[in-house]
Amino acid sequence: MKYLLFQFESAFEDFKRNKTRTFLASLGILIGVMSVVMLIALGLGLKNYIKGQFEDLGVNLIIIFPGSGISGGAASFGPGLSGGAEFDERDVSSLRRIDNADYVVPIFIKSVVVESEGNEEVGYIYGTNEDVFRSMNMEAISGKLLDKSDMQRGSKEVVLGYELANKLFDDPTEGTGKTLRVSSQRYRVVGVADKTGDRETDASVIMSYKTTYGTLNPDKTFFSIYVGVKNDDDVEQVKSEISGALLKRYKEDDFSVSDQTELLDVVNQIFNVLNGVLIAIGSISLIVGGIGIMNIMYANVTERTKEIGIRRAIGATKKDILFQFMAESVLLSLFGGLMGLLVSALIVAAVRPFFPVALNVLAIVIAVGISTLIGVFFGVFPARRAANLTPIEAIRYE
Amino acid sequence: MISFHEVCKTYWLGDEKVEALRNASFEIKKGEYVGILGPSGSGKSTLMNMIGLLDTPTSGSVKLFGKDVSKQSDDELSRLRNQHIGFVFQQFNLIEKFTVFENVVMPARYAKSGLDFDPDKYAIELLQRFGIGERANFHPNKISGGQQQRTAIARALIMKPELILADEPTGNIDSKTGEEILDLLEKLNKELKVTVVTVTHEPEVAARTKKKIYVKDGRIVDRL
Repeated sequence: MKYLLFQFESAFEDFKRNKTRTFLASLGILIGVMSVVMLIALGLGLKNYIKGQFEDLGVNLIIIFPGSGISGGAASFGPGLSGGAEFDERDVSSLRRIDNADYVVPIFIKSVVVESEGNEEVGYIYGTNEDVFRSMNMEAISGKLLDKSDMQRGSKEVVLGYELANKLFDDPTEGTGKTLRVSSQRYRVVGVADKTGDRETDASVIMSYKTTYGTLNPDKTFFSIYVGVKNDDDVEQVKSEISGALLKRYKEDDFSVSDQTELLDVVNQIFNVLNGVLIAIGSISLIVGGIGIMNIMYANVTERTKEIGIRRAIGATKKDILFQFMAESVLLSLFGGLMGLLVSALIVAAVRPFFPVALNVLAIVIAVGISTLIGVFFGVFPARRAANLTPIEAIRYE
Repeated sequence: MISFHEVCKTYWLGDEKVEALRNASFEIKKGEYVGILGPSGSGKSTLMNMIGLLDTPTSGSVKLFGKDVSKQSDDELSRLRNQHIGFVFQQFNLIEKFTVFENVVMPARYAKSGLDFDPDKYAIELLQRFGIGERANFHPNKISGGQQQRTAIARALIMKPELILADEPTGNIDSKTGEEILDLLEKLNKELKVTVVTVTHEPEVAARTKKKIYVKDGRIVDRL
């Protein structure tokens, strides 16, 4: 115990005498650890942000797409693009019969040019029912949303997405009461929905699916169907019942049934890969920092050759000398690592109000663990040179 | 205690072969006060380093404390230096960044097996005995040459060794202080029965020793 204390005290004594050099040598590790930790924090932040977006959409929402997987279906909106099933009202009614399905939302989606008061903007027609507002957590900021009877009537009343209303009018709330023209048909805006964060939904013209029958949707088909589930625990069961119902009409590859957690998994996978790449890039600066430590330790060994000789003369073994210099490089590197962690924590605290960056245990383990490892790895060569000096040559060195 | 038999040491300085020691044979018994004398470059420092286990012979045998030095591992040699030999150098060779006290106890920190005394307490005791007790927390560059050499002697004694090796112990201090240092070494030899080997080229230092080994051109030319 006293021996360890002596070795570490000895290292600290040396740092105290060379404060500037100690700081500069550990600066490389500081920057390296900081970049890696910050990249992790940023990656976590992005993940949290995306997760937040998904949670707004509701976790117990099941989405049915045509095509065999979310990779094809979810990425490319638009009927017919992904092939496979074209859903219709029969599917909606058969899904309604599933016990734990809270509500079923058919979605017809079509990209159109929307005109009002001389302004033309590109938007999306959503042909759907009243439950779409629940499934997307939408609320009106002006006017009202469409209710069940509006939808049943197949009226020419519509609700505008926030961004589309913002583009068409000076103020989005002014949209209520205005008339829109879409492919020579006129529609009356009864309300404007608040932002949802989803690009298509915010640029949408939401109307009853019945209203779309005719010129917009002559085939009376839907691009996808959303099914809301009351209870989280029932999601898996409802999914299999949906598949069972749809398999009566379609082949297995013609549709896919996925829930939010699956989409989240895919997004998480992408971010894990991205994070890994970023950390690998950040690690390069750690290696550079390690080389800095090695350089300073070689200088240290040369400068203190006489001291090594004296220590050997009074009884230090090779191992004692090796341990002494290893302790110094590890402390130096660890000091840089902890400083890097501290600086990152300060930056994270400063950025957090604006973006959900976060530090986790991994970041702390990396800061402490990797910097210790770097100290050992880059310290061992200089320390071995020190230990292998012959006592007689070392003590004669001036 | 120390026995040299036909010891040779050669090394190369560039292309030039230097024969630092040629067939040196002698013995030093426990409790003796011995001077190794000779002009500079005679090989007496090489002899001293070999007694101190800092250097190894090219040929011949060196026995110390009954052990054949050439058969010992580096760790064992370190242990022998630590526990049985105390060094006193011409340049003092204290470590500047440590205080007087820390320098004195340092050999004890390298002794891994338990000591049967408290080295911290003993260090203070030695410093007080040498009249530098109040300098314990000073750094070596803040005290005089004589005080530094006394610190070095305290360090040499901390492990209670059987052998003190002094290499030109008065070389870097004035003659009055030198006298005091020599008195101290003599006292250690007489009172603590420590074997003292001093290397010197100064006649005044040589005059104090009881037994003398003269070295010239790497050969032992006389024994008195």
